Amino acid sequence: MPAIAIKTSSKRRQEAAVQWTLITLLAVGSLVMIVPLIWMISTSFDWAARLELGFPPRFWPLDPSLKNYRAAFTNVPMLKYIGNSLLVAAGVIVVSIFSALLSGYALSKIRFRGSNLVLMLALSTMMIPFEMTMIPQYLLFSKLNLIDTYWVFYLPALNYAFGTFLAKAFIDQLPSSLREAAVIDGAGEFTAFGKIYLPLCAPIVATMVILLFIGVWNELLWPLLALKSSAKYTIQLGLAMFTYNSGINKLPSIIMAATTVSLLPVVIVYLFLQRYIIESIALTGIKQ
Amino acid sequence: MAASAQPAPVRATEPVRRTKKAREKSNKMGYVFVAPLVIGVLAFAIYPMFAALYLSFNQTSGAALNGKWVGWSNYRYALHDPIFWKSLYNTIYMGIFSVALGIVVSFVLASMINSVKWVKGKNMFKGIFFLPNVISAVATTLLFSFLFFPTKQGVINFVLGTVHIDPVGWFTDPRFSRISIVLMSLWGALGYNTIIFIAGLQSVPRDLYEAAEVDGAAGLKKWWYITIPYMRPIFVFMIVMGTIGSMKRFTDVWLIGGTAGNPSGTLLTSVLYIYRNAFLAGQMGLATAASYLLFIVILILTVLLLRLNRKKDSFD
Repeated sequence: MPAIAIKTSSKRRQEAAVQWTLITLLAVGSLVMIVPLIWMISTSFDWAARLELGFPPRFWPLDPSLKNYRAAFTNVPMLKYIGNSLLVAAGVIVVSIFSALLSGYALSKIRFRGSNLVLMLALSTMMIPFEMTMIPQYLLFSKLNLIDTYWVFYLPALNYAFGTFLAKAFIDQLPSSLREAAVIDGAGEFTAFGKIYLPLCAPIVATMVILLFIGVWNELLWPLLALKSSAKYTIQLGLAMFTYNSGINKLPSIIMAATTVSLLPVVIVYLFLQRYIIESIALTGIKQ
Repeated sequence: MAASAQPAPVRATEPVRRTKKAREKSNKMGYVFVAPLVIGVLAFAIYPMFAALYLSFNQTSGAALNGKWVGWSNYRYALHDPIFWKSLYNTIYMGIFSVALGIVVSFVLASMINSVKWVKGKNMFKGIFFLPNVISAVATTLLFSFLFFPTKQGVINFVLGTVHIDPVGWFTDPRFSRISIVLMSLWGALGYNTIIFIAGLQSVPRDLYEAAEVDGAAGLKKWWYITIPYMRPIFVFMIVMGTIGSMKRFTDVWLIGGTAGNPSGTLLTSVLYIYRNAFLAGQMGLATAASYLLFIVILILTVLLLRLNRKKDSFD
């Protein structure tokens, strides 16, 4: 009896040691992940670092001030860019979800001739890298005279095959009998979709809104190609063009202030919906 | 054939006709509902694929949708252009390191987080490691341009200075620039890989571990002999996704090194090559040919990686 007791208690002690080691190592790792962001925020408030980095590096501003933020907002029209990005994101979200839900519903519940072909077509085009199609897309939009308008974002949003896939998988789990009952009662397909299935789709819509918002907010390459006038720049493009033209790693604290502002919306969304976002990433495997 | 084409019995005619009518109506509604998607796919995926193929055989000037047919000459030009090969080399170089490093580090991390029994702490670690993943490539690059500042004022160089290592020109020295990009993107992408791995780790059946425990395996041995083999499909998925992603590297290298891929062209990637030929030189034909070549490279890599997995499967 005592021998067994000793054995289990030593085993328990060993396990506790393992747990503490793991937690300590992970805490150190977390610190490494977080330190760059802490440094960014601290530098963004440091008026002494507006022209040059201080030495030695510090994690508390030498000259704490909000002036960097004022300088950032006057040098880079941040509010304008943020407004533009919100407008683009809103349009892309509406169009993408409209297309994804309608097609997801049709592919799941209306078994029409050719639905498998449509699904195959949509899924196989998901594999085509954007970098391959960006030049013809650019030429297409310039032929339509739509370069430098936000139609370059709204129209391609129709092609949200990943959303179709998500919506179809979600609606597959909803009972078909709801639609059949509605159709027998003389309701049209739009009524059945809009009144019965649409309200049930709220969770998958929320997932798509979050993933699309983060994706659109952070996008650079397509805005860089398709937007010409600086008044139309999105936040990423505006920030990138400012530093690209003034030279990278100049004006530390002003650039860090602008960068901090640029990532606030996504970080706020993330902080509130962290577990939800992580779950949908784990579930769908999508990467922004 | 003939038997199945026989007309239905008379009594069944009425309902059959009705369902046929209903089916036709369903068909029509189905087409209406998928129309936005189909238009989107045709106009912004299928059409551009073919337009790019057509363009790649043309000599174009500026933003014209057609040009002069020149056959394979764009492909020949690209394949004889040392800059094309250099950009492909840089892309693959950074790709190999970022995929290898990303997978090893994030798998170890995921295994550690998954073994933590303190649930609150587990979620906190997941949240912290994933955070950089929602931060844009632009913001990450601007931040790291200061952290990797080439003099002793840079944070990383200061830390190295405390152990008497001379300042490293992270983004300015051609010997280090590519590895610095890899390290920076590791910070940004680590969380994504970790989350996927954790989901995979949770899917390993408990009884496999129990069986191993009966056989006397413990701790790291279980991890090595059970967890890692069981997770192979997820490793393959991550390697394929990582490879495809790193073949498309653009934003960070463009911000750091400009269209020249400085320092000394070490940061010139394939997408940068496409970008500068299309939008700086106005050579849409050459650029689309290069994009097809890149696509073929991605395709070959993907097929090779998937086949590697299958071969191992049959060997087992």
